[in-house]
Amino acid sequence: MTQVIFSSLGKNIVDQRQGGEIDLASLKLKLPETYQDAGKIGAFIGWDGLLVLDRGVNVVALAAEYIKRVQEKYCCAKCTPGKKGTRVLQETLRRIVGGQGREEDLGTIEALGELLKSCKCTLCMTSVKPILDSVKHFRDDYMACIRGQSKAQPARDYRDKLTAPCMDRCPAHIDIPAYVEHIKDYRYDESLSAIRRNMPIPAVCGRVCPHPCESACRRALVDEPISIMVLKRVASDHEWMHQKQPPMIPGTAKNKTVAVVGAGPAGLTCAYYLALEGYKVTIFEAMSEPGGTVAVGIPDYRQPRHLLRRDAEIIEALGVEIRYNTRLGTDVSLKELKVQFDGVFVGVGAHKSKPMGVEGEDAGYDGFSKGGIDYLRAVALGQSVETGKRVVVVGGGNTAIDCVRVALREGAEESILIYRRTRKEMPAEPYEVDDADEEGVRFEFLVNPTRIVAENGKVVGLELVKMILGEPDDSGRRRPQPDPGSEFILPCDMVIPAIGQEPDLGFLDQGDLGVQTTRWNTIVAKEGILMTDCEGVFAGGDCEIGPMTVVAAVGGGRRAARTMDRWLSEGKTYLDDEDSMEDLFCALKVFDADEEVGILGGLHREHQPKVSGAERAKNYDEIELAMSESQAVREAQRCLRCYRVGMVALS
Amino acid sequence: MLSLKIDGNDIQIEKGATILAAAEKAGIRIPTLCYLKKISPTGACRICVVEVQGCTEPMTACNTPAIEGMVVTTQSEKLARIRRQVVELLLVNHPLDCPVCDAAGECDLQESCVENGVVTQPFSAEDLGLESIESWPLIQQVPSRCILCEKCVKVCHEVVGASALVVRDCGEKAFIDTHDGAPLSCEFCGNCVEACPTGTLISKPFKHSARPWALSQVPSVCSTCGCQCQIDYGVMGGKVMRVTSQDGVTRNDGNLCIGGYFGHDAIHAPSRLSAPTVAGEVVTWQRALDEVSSALRTLTDSEGGAAVAGLSSPQLSNEENYLFQKLFRVALGSNNIDSEARFGALRTLQTLQRTLGLHGASNRIESIALAEAVLVFGADVTAEAPAVDWQIGLACRKNDAKLVVATMRRTKLSAQANSRLGYRPGSEVALANALCRLILDEGLADQSFIDRFCENPDELSSHLAALDLDLAVSVTGLSLEALRDAARLLGQASSVALVFGADLIKSEGAEAKIAALSNLAMITGALHGEAGGLFPLDEKPNTQGLLDQGVYPEALPGYHPYGSSRAPFEKAWNVSLPEGGLDATGILEGIEAGTIKALYLAGTNPLVSFPQSARWASALKKLDLLVVQDLYDSPLTRMAHVVLPASSGAEKSGTLTSLDHRINSLNAAIAPLGDSRSDFHILAHLYGMLRPAETPCMESLRKEMKSLCGLYADTAFSISGQWLKQMYSPEAKSLEYAPVDQSELVQNDLELLSGKILYHFGTTTTHSKACLTVFPAGAVAVSPEDAEKMGLSPRQNVRLSSSEGAIDAPVGICDSLPQGLLFAPHHFEGVAVQGLMPAGSNRVAVQLSKI
Repeated sequence: MTQVIFSSLGKNIVDQRQGGEIDLASLKLKLPETYQDAGKIGAFIGWDGLLVLDRGVNVVALAAEYIKRVQEKYCCAKCTPGKKGTRVLQETLRRIVGGQGREEDLGTIEALGELLKSCKCTLCMTSVKPILDSVKHFRDDYMACIRGQSKAQPARDYRDKLTAPCMDRCPAHIDIPAYVEHIKDYRYDESLSAIRRNMPIPAVCGRVCPHPCESACRRALVDEPISIMVLKRVASDHEWMHQKQPPMIPGTAKNKTVAVVGAGPAGLTCAYYLALEGYKVTIFEAMSEPGGTVAVGIPDYRQPRHLLRRDAEIIEALGVEIRYNTRLGTDVSLKELKVQFDGVFVGVGAHKSKPMGVEGEDAGYDGFSKGGIDYLRAVALGQSVETGKRVVVVGGGNTAIDCVRVALREGAEESILIYRRTRKEMPAEPYEVDDADEEGVRFEFLVNPTRIVAENGKVVGLELVKMILGEPDDSGRRRPQPDPGSEFILPCDMVIPAIGQEPDLGFLDQGDLGVQTTRWNTIVAKEGILMTDCEGVFAGGDCEIGPMTVVAAVGGGRRAARTMDRWLSEGKTYLDDEDSMEDLFCALKVFDADEEVGILGGLHREHQPKVSGAERAKNYDEIELAMSESQAVREAQRCLRCYRVGMVALS
Repeated sequence: MLSLKIDGNDIQIEKGATILAAAEKAGIRIPTLCYLKKISPTGACRICVVEVQGCTEPMTACNTPAIEGMVVTTQSEKLARIRRQVVELLLVNHPLDCPVCDAAGECDLQESCVENGVVTQPFSAEDLGLESIESWPLIQQVPSRCILCEKCVKVCHEVVGASALVVRDCGEKAFIDTHDGAPLSCEFCGNCVEACPTGTLISKPFKHSARPWALSQVPSVCSTCGCQCQIDYGVMGGKVMRVTSQDGVTRNDGNLCIGGYFGHDAIHAPSRLSAPTVAGEVVTWQRALDEVSSALRTLTDSEGGAAVAGLSSPQLSNEENYLFQKLFRVALGSNNIDSEARFGALRTLQTLQRTLGLHGASNRIESIALAEAVLVFGADVTAEAPAVDWQIGLACRKNDAKLVVATMRRTKLSAQANSRLGYRPGSEVALANALCRLILDEGLADQSFIDRFCENPDELSSHLAALDLDLAVSVTGLSLEALRDAARLLGQASSVALVFGADLIKSEGAEAKIAALSNLAMITGALHGEAGGLFPLDEKPNTQGLLDQGVYPEALPGYHPYGSSRAPFEKAWNVSLPEGGLDATGILEGIEAGTIKALYLAGTNPLVSFPQSARWASALKKLDLLVVQDLYDSPLTRMAHVVLPASSGAEKSGTLTSLDHRINSLNAAIAPLGDSRSDFHILAHLYGMLRPAETPCMESLRKEMKSLCGLYADTAFSISGQWLKQMYSPEAKSLEYAPVDQSELVQNDLELLSGKILYHFGTTTTHSKACLTVFPAGAVAVSPEDAEKMGLSPRQNVRLSSSEGAIDAPVGICDSLPQGLLFAPHHFEGVAVQGLMPAGSNRVAVQLSKI
């Protein structure tokens, strides 16, 4: 239990310099005890205040070092209080630490602290908060330095990083304020470059990302979140619509090779960053298309395939080879890859449908689809798949929604979605549920399938039982319970279960390489490092974290590329400062939903135009049309640029 | 509209407007420093902070949109303190070198100190001593004076589109630099210097030469190109010290290009002619003009008016050109008058007059910024008409317009295009026709406009239906997909601006190409409405005015056909006008044949500017009398029997007509230099000597232009010092679809294209030290592929020879050219590229050999 000496985080002052028994956990603060193998974390200083865990940390020296780094490494210089104010603060603290301080200097610090509230963004503005806290609560330490009674000894080392609530929440940790600001400045190419530093498939993540970042957007605390995802699309579309050549060039060739299994978001991302480092990367893809789940699990009306292919082609242009129609476990074994390549990344996704566990499921009836993901894949790849006239899809997630909407486009006269809870509890994105509704999908809530009804080996209906919502479960949603005796039959000629999917890890059975799996049928990889229990084999994406989001797969692919690069070049895996601080911030949490942002709201976010429901349900043309660039600039102008800097002192 | 309250005043303002705009509307002053209306708000300085009810923190007025019911306070103790402290911070380590700072007296930081009561400095920090950047041409960067307002960066990116400047580094070390840290290499428009509120970015030529308050400001119009931006001459001691332009009140919104901002030093170039000469001897004006008038009189008396000819210039004002044609037609009895417009603008005029009834552009250039799509065809807009480039930039950058650039070589605008059609040289008709056809095929033509205005819609459909698209693809070298994409971009737009320029207009067979574009303009609906239009470009300042004044044998002033409309003019002028009349080519042949014995050149130099310039050079030697009225000493003046020193645009008054039909006033800012005289003064004196009873004056000529010729009769004086001509509005069923077909392409291994470059304007700026700093001499640009193939390295001298002659030139490697195409600017005497060009062409097959 790490004891807290002093904390001003979370609007609370905890001061145990004179003794006390409050530890980190009781303050609901998650911070690792040690930083990499560089030592114990003695203090944290950042946007929200000051946290001292080791009495040996000199707070005056900590504050001086922090503001120095803010000014010299991070201050964008684009506003006067920030640029000049932090410089004067840096100099004032430098004098104090050097023993040339005066008592009036503390007044200057306080005056500047007030003035920096009028900064353009929160970077310098928030950086004064811990400085002011230190002056207020460690005044004696300051005075001791000023009077020459003690010297402010610096800590053994400090580590810092820039973050922002959105950037922290994004699993790929894209520098969102940077790319938004470039759009505000009409600099789309620069915006895209900022995105590509963390995410190489912007045409995809500009369209189908569930954008967790937007739920950590401070603008939402005054009106509505910034349309972060769509702005990414604007930057990406700008390059495409102006037929520009992407500026990336592969790094100097290294004499090491990497095999990436799966050309999905995780695999493509891992390949991209390794290619930028100069590795020769070969991707083994089971299908005939790049994109993995994005290609065959997300219909074209949400994610046009030609743009997904363009993102993949850009990665190929860096020298990455994609071998299509090559399935791991069938056409090539993991062992072979391990032998033939210096490093292996497994990003095979989660393409196996979960069974519903109802009667008739395994009977092989005509009209019964193995699963939503299988149905979508068959349609996407143009395989012969007969869509019924009256289609029932079971499930409440995005895949289920995609299935009912694709069924309509494939000629179904009626497309019905069955969900055991209510619309409110559906895990699918609300706007997608609305879209399906507009297109004419029929919803049946509070029902659950119990039996497939067939005649002569053909599906003719689905037996359903009515459900009642009971007490909330772990997820906070009310648990549905069957209402015995309420069974009825819904006539239909096709049933598609879309209740979930999992990785197909059959390839691990061939030869024991030591890769471990979890009880959820995912691959075990070392947290943060992403190497499996087999040396040199890394894993990421849905096969490692379970069926999640595109952006989570991208984040995993990028992290694996970084750690694999170190493993390949130095023979060891470790996290660098960027990784470690990223993870540290994630644990500590950057977004504060209770913050009072003292500015005026009332500016609504910009929306993309959309093709209307009736028009669109007949084809696979993209539904969401591009936001105009002038709209995008207006939207970007709403961004509060919530940058902030955090730093740890090592003792 | 929404309502808010500022300092107790109720204000109504349109949605989206900022607090600052609302305050401005109500006449409430909020201090600003980094705010500049023509760029997106930056919010850097924080001086414009205001208090908004309901907000705990002050908000910046410049970038906070007004919201319904908002209550704003602009003055309070807290705000005054913030503003004061912000300026105090700005002054931390700001060098107090005001006595030697160019901005002193017009420095916004000085103003802010006064306005916000900054008299002490409570803050201090060690000075990092950032070094001044001296290595950039024409512009110096003094980072220690910089307040990081980003005006320069944003003007460069958002207004000019050059995107040459960035903020580099962090914190106190941050400074304005180029992308790669290399010396500035940009358009050198100087708009960054003008936007700089302090003395950070300064003009090297102007530096330390004058205090701003010592300059008298003379509003006038820039006479370097046809855009005719509004300027102020900054004058001291009879000298133009600088040229500036005001934001907000000028049609160019304060923006200038290198020609306007830096090129004015050509006015005071040492090569200016200062006294008249006869046979190389300096003489008095009386003696020189006696020589000219008596020689001309003797000649016309003995051989008739047909023995004399005159070539005028788009450098001359409207009044001067009017007088020029009158001098020849009335006083000398000769209709042998023409100009360099013959090789370009006149072709546009005559074609568009026939098909569309147009005498140039169909709309104001500001309409381009409002268009939903812009097509640039055969033009380097940035070079030929910088202000048009800014409008296209505005359209694409801020107003979501789509841009199609059809050019045989890459230009600055190509980089911003949605569609780039790099067609094979000479295939313009095939390309324009294919676009017409595809727009029609896609159902995207402006059918209602065609139905209403086209006199031969059946011909339109049948001609386009018969078009062979496969042939178009093979001739242009473009894919059908690329053509279709472009057609969609243009067709889907509800308004289109069609801008075309010299690469097309001055090329062989230009009439057919222009006709094809006239068709395209009709089909895309470019010819109606406030947005878009048809815009032929011409690089010279008063080409439109010259043509308006009828300085060509086919028309009298005001586009009255010479053949059929002479009667009212003969009556008014009390003469019988001569029959016939030779154009430039006829004049050249006449000189060669010995039938033309005297030639009067007013502000024009066929040795540099005309195709077949080498042929002109030898022909001129045959003349009995060559009179050259010009500004600068040159090989041409050295050939002349009589040289008459003329004065520049800064030294004279008169009017010019811009390429979009605005009539602008030139105001003399300084007295004529040396013993030079304005062209008007010279021509009027001569006219008086030849027809003693009627010495013309400016006022009477202007009246005559209006009453006799109908010129500018429909103009209305505007408050901004310009007269606006009524814009084009065609009559029903009056527009002709001109069925033109692509002629067969001659394939040459190597061709040379001549044209204008951004850094020079005619031959004038080859006398500007500033322009020469950036682009010092003529050269031939070669594509990297050709350079490699022929083993050429930069600056190596080569000989180029064509059917017309040969020249030597140093090589420059240029990756914007396709293989097989060379380019050379036509401004330089030293590399007289026009000598290689055949009549009526800007492109010729050449052989290149190393020397």
